[in-house]
Amino acid sequence: MLLELNNIFKWVSQGGSRIFLLKDINLQVEEGEFISIMGPSGSGKSTLLNVIGMLDNFQEGEYNFLNESVHSMKEKNRSKLYKEYIGFVFQAYHLIDELTVYENIETPLLYKGIKSSERKALVADMLDRFNIVGKKDLFPSQLSGGQQQLVGIARALIAKPKLILADEPTGNLNSKQSEEIMQLFKELNTEGVTIIQATHSEANAAYGSRTLHLLDGGRNHL
Amino acid sequence: MIRNYFKIAWRNLKNKKLYTTIHILGLFAGISFALLIAVFVWQELQVNKNLKNATQQYILTSHWKNPNMGADFATLGPLAKSLKENYPNLVANYYRWDGITSVIANGETNFREGIQLGDESLLKMYGFPLLHGNAEKAFDNPFSVVIKAEKAIKFFGKTDVVGERVTIQNFEGANHEFTISGVLPEISENSVSQFFEKDDNGFFIAKNSATFFDRAKFQDWQSHIFISFLELQPGKTAEDLKLPIQKLINTHASEEIQRNLQIIPVKLTDYYLEKDNGTISRLLFTLAFIGLFILLMAIINFINISISHSGSRMREIGIRKVLGGRRKQLILQFLSESIILTAIATILACIAYSLFRPWFGELIGKELLSLSQLPAYFLVFPILLIGLVGILSGLYPAVVLSSYKSIDALNGKLKNSFSGETLRRALLGFQFITALIVLIAAVIVGQQVNYFFGKGLGYEKEYVVTASVPRDWTPEGVQKMKTIRNNFEKIPSVESVSLSYEIPNSNNGFQITSFKAGENPDLAVAAQGFVADEAYLKTYKIPLLAGKNLQANEPNANNVAINKKAVKTYGFKNVNEAIGQQLIIVGEDEPLTITGVFDDFHFESMQQKIKPQVMFNVNANAIYRYFSFKLKPNSVTEGLAEINKQWQVLMPGTSFEYKFMDETLANLYAGEIRFKKAANTATILALLIALLGIFGMVALSIDKRLKEIAIRKVLGASVKNISYLFVKEFLIVMGISIVIACPLVYWLMQLWLDNYAYRITIGLTPFITAFVMVCSITVILILLQTLKIAIANPVNSLRTE
Repeated sequence: MLLELNNIFKWVSQGGSRIFLLKDINLQVEEGEFISIMGPSGSGKSTLLNVIGMLDNFQEGEYNFLNESVHSMKEKNRSKLYKEYIGFVFQAYHLIDELTVYENIETPLLYKGIKSSERKALVADMLDRFNIVGKKDLFPSQLSGGQQQLVGIARALIAKPKLILADEPTGNLNSKQSEEIMQLFKELNTEGVTIIQATHSEANAAYGSRTLHLLDGGRNHL
Repeated sequence: MIRNYFKIAWRNLKNKKLYTTIHILGLFAGISFALLIAVFVWQELQVNKNLKNATQQYILTSHWKNPNMGADFATLGPLAKSLKENYPNLVANYYRWDGITSVIANGETNFREGIQLGDESLLKMYGFPLLHGNAEKAFDNPFSVVIKAEKAIKFFGKTDVVGERVTIQNFEGANHEFTISGVLPEISENSVSQFFEKDDNGFFIAKNSATFFDRAKFQDWQSHIFISFLELQPGKTAEDLKLPIQKLINTHASEEIQRNLQIIPVKLTDYYLEKDNGTISRLLFTLAFIGLFILLMAIINFINISISHSGSRMREIGIRKVLGGRRKQLILQFLSESIILTAIATILACIAYSLFRPWFGELIGKELLSLSQLPAYFLVFPILLIGLVGILSGLYPAVVLSSYKSIDALNGKLKNSFSGETLRRALLGFQFITALIVLIAAVIVGQQVNYFFGKGLGYEKEYVVTASVPRDWTPEGVQKMKTIRNNFEKIPSVESVSLSYEIPNSNNGFQITSFKAGENPDLAVAAQGFVADEAYLKTYKIPLLAGKNLQANEPNANNVAINKKAVKTYGFKNVNEAIGQQLIIVGEDEPLTITGVFDDFHFESMQQKIKPQVMFNVNANAIYRYFSFKLKPNSVTEGLAEINKQWQVLMPGTSFEYKFMDETLANLYAGEIRFKKAANTATILALLIALLGIFGMVALSIDKRLKEIAIRKVLGASVKNISYLFVKEFLIVMGISIVIACPLVYWLMQLWLDNYAYRITIGLTPFITAFVMVCSITVILILLQTLKIAIANPVNSLRTE
């Protein structure tokens, strides 16, 4: 088991009453799964991904990741955990505008303190694999949306994570680009990377091995 | 990793040219100014430190019970010598000198020059090297002169002039040849070879030629006009001198001197900074303080703009955090940016230093060293500065920016934390306050300086020029001068000409201590003694209040005119009562008779109260130094040309070197004028930096409220409404700043004005000027930025992604 959510509640207080963002979420993810989270706007897809990604807290419930209990963990250990095992892909790509393609992909390795020679090899490998060697010195603004997302995925993968969290990864792309990206996820999944994606689109959800439906107020429904 | 930081920092800065420019400009202004001040302060602290055995060098200063009795920098002629002779274990060496001015000529070339007539020990005692000549033997022969290199060039066009001869005139008008025995190179500033700031004593003559000048009475215990230096034996201090000095004075000096004089030896290394009630050290403190403040403002500015700018960095911070960047790493990244900026600003400041140097030198009245002349350890300072300012100015933004929660940062949710906002407002307020204080202070200083040159002088300075005349202090000499004066008076463009010993430049010839006849001699008061002719009052337009003017052919040396202040001080009821009365000078038999009373005028700077003055007639007291010419307003140039022409005919062998009264006054108030310029400079810098700060703040507000503005526009807000939204925000900060700044600056300026016996009262004008200026500039700055947004199509800002 990669991770397990038991009775997760997350709310904000507004005027004395609680507004639930996540309500009693239960989810078990095995390694090698490809899960799609679906639901209308405001149903808490992103919040759930953030909770899984340990970027956001929750008020109640248990979260176990690789048999470690995240809910009772200190901030520092938690961030160590997600840096080690989780890669993020965003709808808006979130590349650093001031860095080239090469440097964007290299950044997580820098933060991990990996040696220069090893870094070069890893980044070169990744560029080659995604067929973007020719673009390595370009800045994000010089790339198309699809290409930017490709770089975003390459960057998420560079640190060899067990789990990729993708929040509407094709939301800003046209259908052709979108198909290419989903195909790429599919391939990655067959290579053994666990993927959880949030999506609006039934077609994209169909790439996954299973779909989790969120209703308004964040109650999940399988 | 570090390289990576720098690379990112560099690109970031390159991409945001406007912000980078503002950042660098602000820091550059602050650092440049601080650098200039630092060099100046260092230079001033070095004065006298490079003399041989500098820690053992002393000057004897005189403290008179009544400061009018004598100058504090000079002392009794034989004192230093007797100390050395009687206490060889205490005093290692001594040097005394007397300053005179005379005409020096090399063939046809002649100038009036300052001469330092003193002991032969000069060169050896202080280890002054000679550019040419032998320091050991320079003063061995009488009629030898050592000259400064600049004077050698002035007279001979070269420095290698040992063996050449110059002719020097004495006070009887006789000439004698002097042989140049040495040339002094430019030596680092010290109080021995350049005692007075404006001093251009360029000729050093030993006392073995003193008889020629018949003035320097090195043996006279009554004469207290000698600047005297001592070098103490190793291990001895000023304390050890106390008893010997007291003993010598009690043995040799007159009872009056014993009663009134206290000699205080001062270390030369302290003397320069502490003389004149510590004028220099106060100036250094003030300047250092201003420099620090400006630098601080620049740093604050940097912080403000960095935080303001952070909005655009939020997403990057978020991504970096998600990608595994630790807080420490992010802080380092931001610090490297600020260090790069500071480094650029510092390097620019160092380059600009050579451009600003002459200008700043003029401002403070002293040439600044060039950077290459500074000792090598000065290199540490820019590096320290880059590190310190870089970290100081970058730390707060770095800590704040890196503290945002990654998920909020990623979504661009800038938390409007109350404390951050308040802090930024407070910092901006601080800048406003500083800008207001310096601005108001500058206006007040300007008003006071104008007052010095204004109507309150008591005499008319317009179209008055003065010129030194060759001396022949005999009754015949005076008659000759009077004839020359009458010739000058015939020039049509000259209104009147006066021959006198004093001009209103604070240097008078002597003091007299006297009392009203019939009163108790213990009530004797010191008055400034003047020597002038009958045209003096007319030339300077000083009103005669009672009695008669000085008479042209006055045979009696003791008929005098006094000023209004003296009337009161001597105890006469009114000006008319004083006429015909007698004054007794302490220690003399012949009484003075008052024949006239003239109105008070400012002979000294307005820092001093007007003193009692007694004016003697030059006709019977044969000493004089100046001609004062009152020219007719419309023909100043022709007047001067005509005077020059006549001068060559009437006094061949001397040149007409004139000064307008305005220049003389500018010298008298050099310190104040400098202070005014410094205040103006500080004002411009402070305003510049404060405006950069406001600029940054406005940019932030607009950035944050882009969407709000668009919505307001869609809802029908006019450009005016929107601009007002921003102006309002700053006017509040400004209002609070005004409330804090006003009492503060009022108090500070009262303190400064209290230095002056004659001063302006602080009115509303400086305050209103400052408000209007700062407010209007701020509003314009805000409008310039907001208008662009307010006019823009709101659709562009409402579109997301």
